Formats: sequence, structure tokens, C-alpha cells
Amino acid sequence: MSDPVIKVEQVHKWFGTHQALDGVDLSVNTGERIVVCGPSGSGKSTLVRCMNGLETVESGRITVNQIDLAGGTTAVEQVRKSVGMVFQQFNLFPHLTVEENLCLAPVRGLGLSEIEAKERAEKYLKRVHIPEQATKFPLQLSGGQQQRVAIARALCMEPKIMLFDEPTSALDPEMIKEVLDVIAELAADGMTMVCVTHEMGLARAMADRIVFLDEGQIVEEASPLEFFDSPKSDRTKQFLSRIL
Amino acid sequence: MVIVVVLVSWVIGNTFDNLSTRGIASGFSFLQSTAGFGISTSLIEFSEASSIGRAFWVGLLNTLLVSAISVALATILGFAFGVARFSGNWLLARLAAVYVETLRNIPLLLQIFFWYFAVLRSLPSPRQSFDLMGLFFLNNRGFYVPALEIFDGGGWLLSVLIALLITAFWQRQQKLISRSCSGMAVLLLVLVFANAGISVPVLRSFNFIGGAVLSPELVALVIALSTYTAAFIAEIVRAGIQSVPRGQIEAANALSLSNKDRMRFVVIPQALRVIVPLLTNQYLNLTKNSSLAAAIAFPDLVSVFAGTVLNITGQAIEIIGITMAVYLTISLAIAMAMNAFNRTTAMRGLSP
Amino acid sequence: MRILRYLVPFLSVVLFGAATSAGTLDTIKKKGWLTCGVSQGLPGFSVPDAKGNWTGIDVDFCRAVAAVALGSPDKVKFRPLSTKEAFTALQFGEIHILSRNVTWTQTRDSALGVNFAGILYYDGQGFMVRRDLGVRSARELDGAAVCVNSGSTTELNLSDYFRSHGMKYTPVVFEKSDEVLAAYRAGRCDVFSTDQSGLYAQRLKLPKGNVHMILPEVISKEPLGPAVRQGDDQWFNIVRWTLFALIGAEELGVTKSNVTVLEKKTRNPAVRRFVGTEGKAGANLGLDPKWAVRAITAVGNYGELFERHLGNKSRLKISRDLNRLWNKGGLHYAPPIR
Ligand SMILES: Nc1ncnc2c1ncn2[C@@H]1O[C@H](COP(=O)(O)OP(=O)(O)O)[C@@H](O)[C@H]1O
Ligand SMILES: [Mg+2]
Repeated sequence: MSDPVIKVEQVHKWFGTHQALDGVDLSVNTGERIVVCGPSGSGKSTLVRCMNGLETVESGRITVNQIDLAGGTTAVEQVRKSVGMVFQQFNLFPHLTVEENLCLAPVRGLGLSEIEAKERAEKYLKRVHIPEQATKFPLQLSGGQQQRVAIARALCMEPKIMLFDEPTSALDPEMIKEVLDVIAELAADGMTMVCVTHEMGLARAMADRIVFLDEGQIVEEASPLEFFDSPKSDRTKQFLSRIL
Repeated sequence: MVIVVVLVSWVIGNTFDNLSTRGIASGFSFLQSTAGFGISTSLIEFSEASSIGRAFWVGLLNTLLVSAISVALATILGFAFGVARFSGNWLLARLAAVYVETLRNIPLLLQIFFWYFAVLRSLPSPRQSFDLMGLFFLNNRGFYVPALEIFDGGGWLLSVLIALLITAFWQRQQKLISRSCSGMAVLLLVLVFANAGISVPVLRSFNFIGGAVLSPELVALVIALSTYTAAFIAEIVRAGIQSVPRGQIEAANALSLSNKDRMRFVVIPQALRVIVPLLTNQYLNLTKNSSLAAAIAFPDLVSVFAGTVLNITGQAIEIIGITMAVYLTISLAIAMAMNAFNRTTAMRGLSP
Repeated sequence: MRILRYLVPFLSVVLFGAATSAGTLDTIKKKGWLTCGVSQGLPGFSVPDAKGNWTGIDVDFCRAVAAVALGSPDKVKFRPLSTKEAFTALQFGEIHILSRNVTWTQTRDSALGVNFAGILYYDGQGFMVRRDLGVRSARELDGAAVCVNSGSTTELNLSDYFRSHGMKYTPVVFEKSDEVLAAYRAGRCDVFSTDQSGLYAQRLKLPKGNVHMILPEVISKEPLGPAVRQGDDQWFNIVRWTLFALIGAEELGVTKSNVTVLEKKTRNPAVRRFVGTEGKAGANLGLDPKWAVRAITAVGNYGELFERHLGNKSRLKISRDLNRLWNKGGLHYAPPIR
């Protein structure tokens, strides 16, 4: 078996006196789909944000594609080029059109020409089913459309890994499905991904593995079948009883 | 509305009645009379024999000149210092903070004097000028450079030339327009030179004659106004940058944008929404502050018109009235331009 | 800011106009003092000392008027003004006398709503240069940069002089005289031009005074004297006759030290009319008979004033020349009191 594409080893993370991650170990293999769940404040966001260097850790080691994230800005930049991220609040650039949102990083970071970037933007907008919105501004779109643009923006960097941090939590219920469909399609195409979500349907359908976090520790790590049907830990059972 | 008109006409009528009962001259005919005084720096032809009205234009153009240059420099400096406060380099960030605190807290007039006398004292007398290739001279009377002297007709050609160059610049994307503009510009340039000669500064008994001169007054005023205003602009830029939500920066980071690109394409454009309206105030202040020119002998509108002309004619009400109207007009023009900029650029993507 | 300074008087003239032109004598009597506009600091004419007391010939003239009109030389407040502000302040009644070294010109007398009461000092514009420039006459100044004060006739005289002699110059025009001097010191100009009295006074402020020389040419007539607002003849007469009393006293030999003795003992009819023991000069002015005595007791006669502030008893050491009495080869001449 090949080396894991993301390797998290004994990671501890503090915000001041508050410990957000407490000795986390996690490996993600190429093509694997991991769903991270757990109660609010358990450190899910922190964990995925550590995976592309948005947060730094106090102790432990995180490697992505064999690159140690503690290796300074060039290492971090290199990792970020191969890791796409989708945020709960979309974080689209409101002053840029959809197309400009998609083209900015490929042109500035990957050195694509404007024309190449536009072709690529068109391709991924089609992939998320909104090619007709290219010239609009983000605030002219619905929440679901915005989140799909955000996914397309990440895909335009042609990443090897996608990180999702509660991609549907800020959406009105009627828009959740269009976003989940896009994510499911991506999963079906074999994209390696780590997804923080409370959508247990999504977890069941696409996850290879479910990681349950509580108080900064991985409490349970299991296949969906095991996780939903025979959870080992009490905390997982409690969590599932509340959420299902 | 009617009340206002009646009130205003009553005030004006009453004023002129009062003035004539006191034997004070009134009216605007003084604008046509001969000035009789000289002005050191002028963008347009001016001599003692010119009219007072022309002196007004000289002063106004000088005010606009100094304000425009200072606004441009203050904006560049202000953005540089504002951005530097977020620099990862501790020393640079500290320096920017110290700059802002120091410059903001020293009265502007003192700074103007400081720069003026610092400039004057650091430069040699005309006979010991710094000499560059016998063409450029720097001394405590100013910086003397060779100048293009345009004969009749040349002036028009020159303005067409400038207009063409500006079009060429703005239309850079449309290569065809840009090329044809540049082609015509070259042609015109030849024509301009055919109608012009070069005047080189030469040393006479006291000073250099000929060429064009950048006076120490202008330099000191521009330095003082732009560095002072830059301190305020730096604070505004800082506030603007801080107003950009964290998520925007994280998104840029996640996309692996470099620090520079992140600032330039993500943070600054959004910070402009906060910056531009506040910047308008600073531009207005700068323009008003340029009237401190009188203190260091730069012939701006207040110095020439509300100073020398007022003293000669003594018609305080007319002159102060005109001067206030001019500053009001400049202020409104700046405010309108900034509003337009705000609508088209800073608020991009925000209005549906 | 600067403009605000004009706004208040401007509004007052717009709204109240004629109401402010009540009799000045009554106004100041009611107030208990008069306000006198002086220059912002010109040695010999008006300078505040370390304690803030104003001294100088312009200042003492106002003290004499206060003594004449209000009975005491102390009932006066001084208001330092630039030339630019001076006339506006007088027009709008912010000051009662302008006793600042301003030149009496036709425009000022006829178009500014003020009247000049007489001439206190005959001055003329001159030039100061560094000796090492090698210039001996103003005719050699073609192409020079000239530092001057704005808001005075100086700028116009300068331009007239250079134009009439076919010479070019660069005017460097400052708002305040301190900056004119500082710029001249810093080498911004070759020449410093102002009234000669001012040149002498400013030269005192330079570290090595005799490195600088005052050129012989006097290029203008600068009669300096007190001015009052137009339209109050009684006040105009009081100020004008205070000036004549100072000049007349010198001619009559009335001095600060002998005036009280003469008041009681003299038989000379001209002196008797002066000290008020004969005639009704005081009553004609709307004052009491001792008005002139008070002026001399307060500040001395014109000669004493001149020597104390400008002449040999002062640091300026300006020679009296034109400022002698008419019978000593000068121009000062007071009409008789009778
Ligand atoms: N930037 C921060 N500063 C301080 N505390 C933080 C910060 N980010 C997260 N935390 C804290 O760390 C803990 C874990 O946060 P997070 O990873 O966002 O939880 P989750 O995503 O599981 O809800 C929470 O208690 C939160 O309050
Ligand atoms: Mg979270």
C-alpha cells in the first residue's frame, strides 16, 4: 500500500489556554473519502484547517504529499496548491465576478494565461452546473450557487485533495441538495477528500471512513456501516441519538 | 425657497448699501485692472502688466497644481505606510506606526517650515550649484532644467499630443487603437519640435536664467502636505484593511495566493469600500491646507488673491467671497469625483 | 481658519451695518478703554517685551491718544495685526485706531473707508544685501531674487522700480516678516526689501549685522501714520490733533519734564493755548482743556518719542533726516492751536 497522502501525527493545538486538538492521529490515503463529525466546538474545523496550514500546531507533525507543513512558507504554499478548501461561509471574493473568482489563483499562482484560466473556469463551472453565471457577482447568486462557485474555484487549482468545512451549514434547506450532489459527484470521480459535515446522509453515501471528534480527540474512527449501526463509544452513541 | 431668495437678496443689498455709506469701494471691476506686482511661479504667462483677473488664475492653477501632486503622493505614501503596518517584518511595521504617530501630532505649519528651511539650508547658493552635464542645476533657488519653448501653434499641437497619449494609455487593451494613437503621437511630436526650441538655464550675475525651475517653495510644500496627509491616509488604509473579513484572507491563503497578490487582488479592493469615503475627507483637507502656502512664499490662491490682491484693492468681501466660492467648488468637485469612483470601483459587486 | 477671521466682521457688516458707527469717543468712554491695532513686532515701532508690554513709537502714539481721550495712557489695549488684516479690522470697528507702520496711499485713504490722521514717520522702501555680493547700488540688482512681505505696498513699489529700470527679478513673497528674514538668512534671496525703518530693525535680528548693508536708494515715499475709520469726524479730529500736539510740543519746547511747570508758569501765549490755560482748543474737540498736557505727560513730545524708540537712545540709531521738524530741515509741521 502507498504512503498516506495526508498524515496527522500526535497533533496538539491550543488557542491560548484552550486546547482545541489533543493528540490527534489520522491518515488519509489517496482516493479516500473521510467524513469528520462531532459536536460543535470539538475541533473539527481546526483539524481540517491544520491540513492546509491555515492553523499552525504546537506539537506533532502534519505531512501532505510527503511535505511537512512545519517547513516554512514555501512548504505551506506548495501544499496549498494541491489542497482545495471549501468554507462554511463560501468566502467568495465579492468584488470579483464569478469568472474572476475562478481565474485569480490559476493566473497569479499557477501562471496560466488569461485564456487558459477562462477555459478552465468554464470547465469547472459546467462541472458544478452553473456555466451561465460566469459574469455575475457572488452577491447576485443564491447561497447554493455561491457554494458551488466556491467548489469550482477550489477545483480550478486542480487539487489532489479537497477539504470541506461544513459546506452546507450556512445554506437554506432547499439549497442543500444541489451542493451535496456536486460533492457526491466529486467523490464518485475519485477525488481524495476530507469533509466536515452534519449531513449523515452524505456520510453514509460517500464516506470510506467516518472520524468522530470530541473535545479535540478522535473518539471513534470507523466505516459508515460500523459507525451508524454499532458505535463503540458512549459519546458517539449520545451524539448519534441527538443528531438522527 | 422664496424666503431664502428674499433673505439672500436682502443680505446682499444691505451689504452693498452699508459698504457705500462707509465709503468702501465695491464690485468686481478690480479684476480688470492691472496687477502691478510680480509672481514667482506661474503655469501661465504672467507679468506685472497682466490683469488682476489673470493673477487670480495664476493663484488658482498653483493651488490646483500643488494639491494634485500632493494628493497623488500622499495616496501612494499613505497606502505604502498603511500596508506596511501589516508587514511581517517587525521593524517595518514599527517604523510605519512611528511615522503615523509622529507626523499626525506635529502641526502642519511647523512641518511646512521644517521642510522649507531644511530644503533651503541643505542646498548651495547659485554660484556653487550642483551641476549635471551643464543642463541641470540644483541650488537654493530651485532645480533648473532645460525647457521646451513652444512657438505659436505649438501649444495646440502639444495638447493634442497629450490627449492622444492619454487615449493610448487608457486603451492599452485594444491594441489597434493604442497603436494608431502612438503612431500619430510620434508624428505630432516631430511637428511640435519643429515649432519649438530648447531653452537651457545659464548662470547670470545672481542666478540662472532660462529653462524651467522647480522652486524650493513648491518642493517643500508638496513634501509637507503629502507626508502629513499620508499619515492620516495610512490610518485609514489600516482601518480599511482591518475591515476586510478574516474569511477573505483565509480563502486567499487556501488558494495559495502570495502575500502580495492577496493584498493587491483581495484585501485592498475590498478595503476601498471603507477607505474611499474617508479618503475624500483627506483630499479636501489637503486642498484646504495648501493655503498654508502663503507662509513660505508659494504663490497659491490665498497668497496671491486673498493676500496680495486683497491688500492692494482692500475689497475684502468680494475677494474673500470669491476665494470661499473657489474652495467650495474644488471641494465639491473632489467629492463628486470620489463618489463616482466609489460607485464604479469601490462598490463593485456590492449593488445588485 | 484665515477666512474665518473675516467672516465675523463680514457678517456683522451684512446684518448690522450702520448700527456700529456710533460715536467712537462715547463708545470707548463707556467701555473704559480703546483698542489700538499695531504691527506684530517691529523694533522701534511696536514690539512686546518679555513681560508682554508693548513698546515703540506706534504704541506710544496710542497711549497718547488714550491719555487725551480717556485720561490715562494705560486705558488702551493693543491688537497685533498683519497689514492684510489691519484695514479690515479698522473698517469693521474691531479697532479704534490703526497705529501700525502702514503707508498712507490714495487708494487706502479713499477706497477703504478709512482716514489717515497724519504722518508719524516719513519712511521709504529700501534694499538690504549681503556685503559679499559686491552690490553697491540697487541699479545692479537685475535678475536678483527679492524676499518681501505680502500685503503691503512693498510688492508694488518693487515691481514698479524694476520695471521702470528695465530689470528683471523674482519676487519671493511671505506672509510674515519673520519668515522673510529667515528665508533671506537661508540664502533664498539676494535682496531683502522693505521700508528702510524695517530694514534697520530687521538687521538687528541678524547674527552678524554688519555683514549686511542697506543700499542707498530709497525707491518709494512711505508716509506712515495713524488711521481711523471714516465717518466719525470728532474721533478723527482727536487722533489728528493728538499727533499735532506731539509735534507742536517739540516746536514749542514743551517736554515731558517741563510740561507741568510750564502749565502753571508760562507767559508764552502759544504755550498757554497748548496747556489749556487760554483758548478753548479742548472744548472744540469735545474734551477738557488739559488734553494736550496729558499727552505730553504720558509720552513726551515727538522729538523725545523719536529719540527714545528710533534715534540715538535706541538700538536702531536711525538718523532723523526727513523726520526733523520743518524748521530744522525736516517735514514735520503742526498747524497752530488757536
Ligand atoms: N481562532 C480561535 N481563537 C480562539 N479559540 C478558537 C479559535 N478557533 C477555534 N477556537 C476554539 O477551539 C475550539 C474548537 O473550534 P472548532 O475547531 O472551530 O470547532 P468545531 O469546528 O468542531 O465546531 C472551540 O472551542 C473554539 O471556540
Ligand atoms: Mg466548525
